[in-house]
Amino acid sequence: MIEVSGLTKTYGKKRGIDRLSFTINDGEIVGFLGPNGAGKSTTMNIITGYLSANSGAARIGGIDVLEDPVAAKRNVGYLPEQPPLYLDMTVEEYLNFIYDLKGVKEFKRKAHLAEICELVGLKDHYKRLIRNLSKGYKQRVGLAQALVGNPEVLILDEPTVGLDPKQIIEIRNVIKNLGKNRTIILSTHILQEVSAICERVLVINNGQIVADDKPDNLSALITGDRKLVVRVAGPKDTVRHILRSVDGVQFADVTVQSEKGSYDFLVEAKPNVDIRKPMFAALAKAGYPILQLKSMDLSLEDIFIKLTEDKKKVKVSQNKQPKKVKTEEGSETKTPLEDTFDALDVNLGGADFDFEDKEGEI
Amino acid sequence: MLAIYKRDLRAYFSSPLGYVFVAAFLIVTNLVFLLTNLLTGSNALGTVYMVILYLLMVIVPILTMRTFSEDYKQRTDQLLLTSPVKASGIVMGKFLAAYTVYVIALVFTVIYVLIVAAVGDVNMASIFGNYIALLGVATVYIAIGCFISSLTENQLVSAIATLGVFAAVFILDMAYDLVNVDWIKTILYWVSIFRRYNTFYMGVFSIADFFYYLSISAVFVFLTVRVLEKKRWS
Repeated sequence: MIEVSGLTKTYGKKRGIDRLSFTINDGEIVGFLGPNGAGKSTTMNIITGYLSANSGAARIGGIDVLEDPVAAKRNVGYLPEQPPLYLDMTVEEYLNFIYDLKGVKEFKRKAHLAEICELVGLKDHYKRLIRNLSKGYKQRVGLAQALVGNPEVLILDEPTVGLDPKQIIEIRNVIKNLGKNRTIILSTHILQEVSAICERVLVINNGQIVADDKPDNLSALITGDRKLVVRVAGPKDTVRHILRSVDGVQFADVTVQSEKGSYDFLVEAKPNVDIRKPMFAALAKAGYPILQLKSMDLSLEDIFIKLTEDKKKVKVSQNKQPKKVKTEEGSETKTPLEDTFDALDVNLGGADFDFEDKEGEI
Repeated sequence: MLAIYKRDLRAYFSSPLGYVFVAAFLIVTNLVFLLTNLLTGSNALGTVYMVILYLLMVIVPILTMRTFSEDYKQRTDQLLLTSPVKASGIVMGKFLAAYTVYVIALVFTVIYVLIVAAVGDVNMASIFGNYIALLGVATVYIAIGCFISSLTENQLVSAIATLGVFAAVFILDMAYDLVNVDWIKTILYWVSIFRRYNTFYMGVFSIADFFYYLSISAVFVFLTVRVLEKKRWS
């Protein structure tokens, strides 16, 4: 069990984290979700005893990290943001060093390390120099390091960063399997990751917890907006007019010209209304085919805006919409890597086909 | 602690650093041995030991520059500081690894004793005392070097700063002869690593001076531990 109470850490005048409190029960897999600089790594560094908080306490299995650091750290496997690797060692030497460093006694060295390598897929690279490994494999070595000694608590700071899609899926599965008998905290700024692995999400922004919920509830909360991006072949003014006249449409406007003769529209439905069928019917009747229909990609930024606003009990006001349209427009013209958040755009996968099911939950 | 010691010692010899240190050490001592003993037929090894004392000033920075700086740079300090090892264990592991490299280099100089003993008389007691003293004095150099390395993540800064500190101590040592004020002389004697070695050079084993070396290095090891612990509060 991990208990964090009233944790505050300041860097000079800047607040890294601000009176953070939460409890994580045994066997839970918890995701820390937040943009860069939200305080995820700081929190993890404090829990693992690398940093000290200005005030507040962190306890692992009832042991205060500050009072008895050695005993507290014994139960924790930590993968920092940048895997702490000695590049001049081979994987084998490195893991043996970790084995000694952690003073593991319960498991036989050879079998234990072999098991870990099997688990994270390092078997074929066991004798290689860490310096020569690719980033994805270095990340695996980092993960393997955290697993040595079979700690009850695993703290993983962005474990899938730098991996290719196939590896990401593999590592996620590894983490999921590990979570069957362990407590895991992992941080990420990818929403999909949280819904793929975690049972619970703590959303952190500006050093404070903005939301603490199950991932399902969180995405329901977010998709509650009912924003759709519709690509229609037809003149934009006419199509806009048709879209606005559809029953249940709260807002509709052009975002960008996508292909020749077709435009993307952002359409927002009134709460609890499925506008897709009437919208289709209206456009079909007018003879303007829908080329594409998808729920709007929500970036983390949008989610935070939403969550923080929800917290303040302020409804998303109508006059905010044009602003959002603008961001959407911007992301269309940029290359994916130009903007971190655009790069991290989260497609709330398949939500456009699940509306019927989701409706019940909302 | 043992794990860190083993890893660091291995790292010295899986990179050129350990070899460079031992080679530099042996080139100079061999040369001195050749000039003062072999060519002149002298059986007094004191000069060789005295040269080692000054040589360490130049080569210990090479030995200690990476101790902590490299870990900071590679972020492996995060691994060490979040592992179930005390900060004192980390410092001692690294300190002893560097010290071991020095001892390895020093062991080679025993050959000189054997050569001299084969062809003439040696004062074994004096030589034994000198070795103990050289083991003692090196703890000071290495502890200071480790301490400075713990302050920076740049190895070059670490090496140059260490060299600078040694040079400052050396200059203070020189100043001893130039000053006539008693209380300043007393203070200068406190900080002089070199002057204290004279008793050993003369063939006298001074327990006070030996413990002086050990206490100074203990202070710097302690300070290094504090630096590591302070990192958490930064």
